[in-house]
Amino acid sequence: MQNLGFAYAIDPALRRIYADPGARSAALRRHLATFNCHPYTAAAIVGGAIHHEERVAAGEEPPGAPLEYKQILQGPLAAVGDGFFWAGLRPFFGALAAVGTLAVGWPALVAALLAYNVLHLWLRWTLFRAGYRAGDEVVLRLASLSLPAWAGRLRNGGVALAGVGLGILALLATGRLGLAAGAVTLAAAAAGMVALRGRARLLPTAYVAMAIGTVAGILATRSPGGH
Amino acid sequence: MDYLVVALVAGLAAVERKGFLQAMLARPIALAPITGLALGDLPGGLLLGAPLELLWLGAVNMGASLPPNEALGTVAVAGGAVLAGKALGTGVTPAIAALAVALVGVLATVGRSTDRAIEEWNVRLAARAETLLDQGFPGAAVRANLYGLVPPFAVSALLAPAAAGLAAWVIPGVLHGMPLASVPLAYGWAALTGVAAAAGAQAFRSLHGVGLFTGAAAFTLAVGWLVGGIR
Repeated sequence: MQNLGFAYAIDPALRRIYADPGARSAALRRHLATFNCHPYTAAAIVGGAIHHEERVAAGEEPPGAPLEYKQILQGPLAAVGDGFFWAGLRPFFGALAAVGTLAVGWPALVAALLAYNVLHLWLRWTLFRAGYRAGDEVVLRLASLSLPAWAGRLRNGGVALAGVGLGILALLATGRLGLAAGAVTLAAAAAGMVALRGRARLLPTAYVAMAIGTVAGILATRSPGGH
Repeated sequence: MDYLVVALVAGLAAVERKGFLQAMLARPIALAPITGLALGDLPGGLLLGAPLELLWLGAVNMGASLPPNEALGTVAVAGGAVLAGKALGTGVTPAIAALAVALVGVLATVGRSTDRAIEEWNVRLAARAETLLDQGFPGAAVRANLYGLVPPFAVSALLAPAAAGLAAWVIPGVLHGMPLASVPLAYGWAALTGVAAAAGAQAFRSLHGVGLFTGAAAFTLAVGWLVGGIR
């Protein structure tokens, strides 16, 4: 339920558009209707809704036009946002930041977070501006960004980064405890991949791996030449 | 004082995660170091951040589905581990990290239930906003949005320090009582990091996932060994 957030976001614009308190209240009521979208791509809808409210205030459109615009676009834009931002861009930068932290330390973490936020805030601003300027034509602007194609590339890149992360984690475990610990890391990753692809639940899988790893550690410390 | 810090970090993270900005500051990769820094142990937070990020990389709010509350789990684990490390005088070690995840990592799953309850509360808040509008208070109706930020803050600010306190109480006792457990537990942590990397790869649902994941890991291992190892 994002209707409250939407009403909060658009209220400053409604104050400017409608001098009459009654008209402002009526407009605000329109934007308290059910709304559900991706929080980033919703910027395009906020921009487009302001575009339509200005036309309503000028008498060029009926009062229902902004609501109709929101209802038509919220689903498709939610799908685009989920597919690109939540399944592509953000996990890609999460994996990038994780690899950077493991390999370099906090400066790489800060750099990755800065890069993500510059990019995502620019996209949010671009979507808002496109919605405000183009109204219904925002769909064409969005299509020109080719976000689904980029999402596919980011997903492949993210998987590769997770692989790099695994390599570094295995090297770190080897450096800390010896070859056996590196082997435990790799074996847990392989078993975890099989289990998770078989739809095993995440935390139970992690707990089982930790328990087996601990038993392996007990065996390793008892073996000749162990810790 | 440490528990107030944990409460504040958890509460603000809960707001940033879904209610304001969403700039990755509530993701484990940022939140674990922030928690560590706030408690005076940045290296401890950094040790936890990358594996927890990979573990919960797939925890995203898609459509109507509710993922585990990775932010709540992260603050509980990082807070508990750092406080246990302080109590032991060692800082966060892999053994402490493993115990912290084992003890309080499940709070992320509990957080999913509290998130659902908060969503129901927000539905009631929306109805209240409409009533305020009917009564001629548009400003108050708009401000109802801000009240929606209070429950996630409060729930996280209560649960995270409680869980961190549990971890900080249990872990020193375990490691004092069984000092030889540190090395096996470090192996357990190594296994957890392996599963975390696999979970991270799986979160992308890439068609070429297994090949890319395996190839990249093999390449990194080869480079690491050739170069002489990454510390």
